[in-house]
Amino acid sequence: MRLALDRIGHAFLGRTVLEGCDLLLANGEIVALVGPSGCGKTTLLQIAAGLIDPLRGRVRRDYRRHAMVFQEPRLMPWLTAGENIAYGLASLDLPRRRRREIAGVHARLVGLEPADLDKYPAELSGGMRQRVAVARALAVEPEVVFFDEPFTAVDVGLRRALQDLVMRMAGDGPSGQGFSGLFVTHDLAEAVRLADRLAILSARARGIVEIRAVPGRRAARGDRDVFEIVQSWSREEAFAELVDGEGRHVP
Amino acid sequence: MRLSWLGRYLWSGWAGAAGLFCLLAAWQASHEVYGSFVLPSPLQTLAAIRDVVRGPGFVAAVAETAARTFTGFGLAAGLGTVAGAIAGYSFAAMRVMRPVVAVVLGVPPISWIVLALIWFGASGGSAVATVVVAALPISFAGALEGVATRDRSLDAMARVFGAGPLRRFRTVTLPHLLSYLFPAWTTTVGTAWKVTVMAELLANAGGIGGELATARALFDIPQVTAWTTLVVAFALATDYGLLTPLRERLERWRSAGLPWGVKR
Repeated sequence: MRLALDRIGHAFLGRTVLEGCDLLLANGEIVALVGPSGCGKTTLLQIAAGLIDPLRGRVRRDYRRHAMVFQEPRLMPWLTAGENIAYGLASLDLPRRRRREIAGVHARLVGLEPADLDKYPAELSGGMRQRVAVARALAVEPEVVFFDEPFTAVDVGLRRALQDLVMRMAGDGPSGQGFSGLFVTHDLAEAVRLADRLAILSARARGIVEIRAVPGRRAARGDRDVFEIVQSWSREEAFAELVDGEGRHVP
Repeated sequence: MRLSWLGRYLWSGWAGAAGLFCLLAAWQASHEVYGSFVLPSPLQTLAAIRDVVRGPGFVAAVAETAARTFTGFGLAAGLGTVAGAIAGYSFAAMRVMRPVVAVVLGVPPISWIVLALIWFGASGGSAVATVVVAALPISFAGALEGVATRDRSLDAMARVFGAGPLRRFRTVTLPHLLSYLFPAWTTTVGTAWKVTVMAELLANAGGIGGELATARALFDIPQVTAWTTLVVAFALATDYGLLTPLRERLERWRSAGLPWGVKR
């Protein structure tokens, strides 16, 4: 067990968004938080990552280092790509040369050229910026990684490549240790593709309505398996809010 | 890298010189309309500058004014920036300080000079005090806005990656703050030179202001324009010789995303 959420509840300005959420994250496991926009999945992720203190309940952590990939790249405009990747390493007390080496290794891992490392974020394309953000998270060799809809703004091909990278690295990173992941997404196919378990959130129920395991091992799931699981699950009541957009009619 | 930076710096100076020569042409035209007694020509002023620079009291007067200006600027920029940055972190302090700054900025510097003359007497101290009071709110307001508008999403990112408050200030807030501070400091430096000369003239406290008072008493108009030109030159030299190179160094990342024509 890496991370445990016990009876988490939270409210913004008196408006309750989450109530009684329980979730366990095992070693090496990826759990996807799925639900429609505004159901509180990002809030739950931020509580798990320690960015927000929950009003009720408790977060138990059994790891030393975590990292996060946000929906936007969130790179420092005044640091080069290489310095951005090394940002999290500064608190690890490593010599400067070692930090540059690690940044270089992880830049290659996400498919960046060595020449890109000296460029500022303004000189990189959107997809390359998100690659830098992924490299920055992986560079600290985290034991838990939080993903907040990280691949919604990148093109289909790159999304697949980054999903594959996340799955591979969760299994075993360059140091062979792997990580556990909590992955927020509103894309059911993405969740089914890379997660071991799904936690389904509902805006109406203000929390997790169901946790279910995805059949098969995550690395062994082919496109056909993913398609069939998504097909059969989207007819179910539990996913109604996510798939139908019920109660969210556009006038 | 270093050489290309120098080349770019000098090239941008070339464009600036073109604008200045237009101003000189207008000056010459006015001189030809109104005559030497009202407005000496640029050439006459240049000759007067030569005399002034060769004069016995030149170095002492400039040194005196410069010392007061830089003391005033240092105090105003230092205190204003630190206080403004602290206020920027607190919503309560921001709400309280914003109207205070607006009111203080509205007070004409001449009123401060009169007050300072009463409080400190006709000495250099009143010039420095006036500069500090007149220029401090500019740095304060700049630092306050800079900290208040910092990118909170980057701050959250830094927190996730284990950066403490000091490191977050240095890596997230400070680079953003600088883009607010440099314009504020540029204004502060300009104000510092102008207010120092004004205070010296009124307090009769020597320095360039004192020289101007003498020139006025003697109706030596070319000397007035000469000293005026010199003060402008000093103020610009402080800005372009000190602040601009510093800014270029610290904000190299900013030019990375700019198109070619804006960069040069």
